[in-house]
Amino acid sequence: MSELALFLVRTGFLVLLWVFVFSIISVIRADLFGQKVVSRVAQANVPAVFSTPTSSSSDTTKQPELKATKLVVTEGEKAGTEIALSGRQLTIGRAGDSDLIVDDEYASTHHAKLVFINGDWLIQDLDSTNGTFLDGQKVGTPMTVSMNTQVRVGQTTFELRA
Amino acid sequence: MNALTEALQISKPIKVVPRSRNLEALLLFFAAGLNAFELAQIQLSILERMTTDLFTYWLPPVLFAFLLHLILRRRASEADPLILPIALVLNGLGIAMIYRLDLATIASGGAELFAFRQVMWTALAMAIAAIVILYIPSQLFLRRYVYTAMAVGIVLLLLPLLPVIGTTINGATLWISLFGVTFQPGEIAKIALIIFFSGYLVDRKDSLAVVGRKILGIRIPRGRELGPILVIWLASIGVLVLQRDLGTSILYFGLFLVMIYVATGRAFYAGIGVAMLITGGLVASRLLDYVSRRFDAWLNPFEQANYDAVGGSYQIVQGIFGMANGGLFGSGLGGGVPQLVPLAESDFIISSLAEELGLIGFFAILALYFLLVSRGLKVAFRHSDEFAKLMAVGFSFVIALQLFVVIGGVTRILPLTGLTTPFLAAGGSSLLANWIIIAMLLRLSDSAVDRQTEVITR
Repeated sequence: MSELALFLVRTGFLVLLWVFVFSIISVIRADLFGQKVVSRVAQANVPAVFSTPTSSSSDTTKQPELKATKLVVTEGEKAGTEIALSGRQLTIGRAGDSDLIVDDEYASTHHAKLVFINGDWLIQDLDSTNGTFLDGQKVGTPMTVSMNTQVRVGQTTFELRA
Repeated sequence: MNALTEALQISKPIKVVPRSRNLEALLLFFAAGLNAFELAQIQLSILERMTTDLFTYWLPPVLFAFLLHLILRRRASEADPLILPIALVLNGLGIAMIYRLDLATIASGGAELFAFRQVMWTALAMAIAAIVILYIPSQLFLRRYVYTAMAVGIVLLLLPLLPVIGTTINGATLWISLFGVTFQPGEIAKIALIIFFSGYLVDRKDSLAVVGRKILGIRIPRGRELGPILVIWLASIGVLVLQRDLGTSILYFGLFLVMIYVATGRAFYAGIGVAMLITGGLVASRLLDYVSRRFDAWLNPFEQANYDAVGGSYQIVQGIFGMANGGLFGSGLGGGVPQLVPLAESDFIISSLAEELGLIGFFAILALYFLLVSRGLKVAFRHSDEFAKLMAVGFSFVIALQLFVVIGGVTRILPLTGLTTPFLAAGGSSLLANWIIIAMLLRLSDSAVDRQTEVITR
C-alpha cells in the first residue's frame, strides 16, 4: 500500500477507536441526563405540550385555575412515581417515616418538607447536608413551589402537577 | 385539558421495553467492525494483501459475542449494555496484536505462535461465560456456596505446588500442566475468593465496623476481628515466597483490603493493610533474591549491569524504547517493531499496543478499561443486595487492580510483576477468568435495576 493510504488507515483506526469510546460515553450520558419519564409519557400519549415541563411562571400564568394535586418524580431512581398531595404536609428524606422515601446517598434522613399554606405549597429545607434546590436555586428560607417547577433532593427531582 | 389529565393518570411507573439490548447489538456491530479493521490493517501492512486467515481470527469471538447477546435478550434483558461490547473490543485488540506478533515471528523463521491458541481460548472462555449466565440465575444461588468457594479458591491456589502437575515458568510456580496444556489456576481462584470474601464480609461487616475500643480517636477492632486479615496476609506472603510471584500476591491482598474497606467503610483497615503490604514488600526485597532484583531493575533500569543481567531490566527498557518509538500517534498496526521486547505478546502486550497505536490509542484502551470498571462499580452502587454489591465491587476492582499493577510495571511506576493484562495478554486462564467475571457482572447488572418499585408512599 502507498504511504498515504497507510497513513489514512492508521489515522482512521485511531479515530474509530475514539468514536467507539465516545459512543459508550454518550450512552452513559444519556443514562444520567436523558430518557426521563416525562418524555416517555409524552411519547406515549401527548405531544409537545407536555413534554417540556419548563419554567414554572409561564405555565402557571397560562393555567391559573389548576391546583397541584400530586407530586411526580421526574428524575432519579424512582422516576415515574407519583404521590397524591392529600394532607397539609409531605416529608421527604431517607428516614423510614418520610412520605417520600428517597433512598439516595446524597439525601439526608429528614431532608425537606412540603407544607401547604394559604393555597400554596412551600418547600422547606430541614437543614439537609446537600441542600434542596428549587428550579436550580438553593432553598434557604421556605419558598413557594409553583407548578411544574423542578425541585431537587439529592439525586431525585420532582415537580408538582395538577 | 382532558388529554392532559389522562396523560397524568397514565404516568405511573411504566415498564419500558429495555432499549439497552438494541443498543448492545449496535455497539457489538461497531466492535466487530473495529476488530475486522485491526486485522485487515495488520495484513495489509505486513503481508500487503488480505488473506482468509482474517476470518479465523475475527469470526469466533464475534460469533460468540452475538450468541451471548442473544442469551442476554432471553435471560437477562436488563443487563448492562456496555460491558459486552467493551470486552469484545479489548479481546479483539489483543488477538490482533498477538496475530501481528505471530506474523513477525513467522517472518523471522520462528515457530512459537500464539494467535490461534488465543482465539480458541477466547471461544472457550466465551462459551463458559454463556453457561454462567444461563445457569447462575442470581447471586442468591452463590450465597449458598460461600465456604465451598473458599475451599475451591485455596485448593486452586495450592495446585501449582503439587509435585507432578505443578510447573515453573520464568521462575514463578503458578502453572499446572495437564496433557500438554498449561493452566494458571490462580486466575480462577481469584473469582472463588471474591465470592468468599463477599459472603464472609456481608456476615461480619457489622462486627468489623462497629465493635472495638477507641484509642486516640481511632477505633481499633478487637484482636479476633483482625484474624482474617492476618490469614489473607500470610497467604499472600506464602504466594510470594513459595510461588515466587509478586504480582499475584499484591493482587489477592489488595483485593481483600478493598472489599473489607467497602464493606465496613473504615479507613483503619485500609491503613493497616497498606502498612502490612509495604512492610511485607520491604522485608521481601531484603530476604528474597528475586524481589530485590526486581526492585533494582525498576529503580535503575538504565544501568548497564542491570540491563545485561539475566532477568534484569532489558525487558523494561525495550518496552520503554518501544513506547517512545510509537510516540503520540504510533507507528500504526503492523508498522512498528514490538517483537523486539521479550514476552511482547503477554506481559508486555500493553507496550506493544502503545508502540503501534501511540499515546492516543493507548489512552483509548485505558478509557475502555475505565469505562468497564465504572460500569461494574455502577452495578455495585445500584444493587439492593449487599452480597451482590460486594461481589460487583470485587469483580470490577480486580480488573482495575490488575491493570494498575501491569501497566504500572511496564511504565515503571511500580516494580515489574507477572500479572496479565485482562483480555489483551496471551493466555487462556486469564481469558477464562475475565470472561467469567464479565458474565457475573452482566448477571448482577440484570437484577441491579429492579428498584423502581421500592418507593413507599403513604
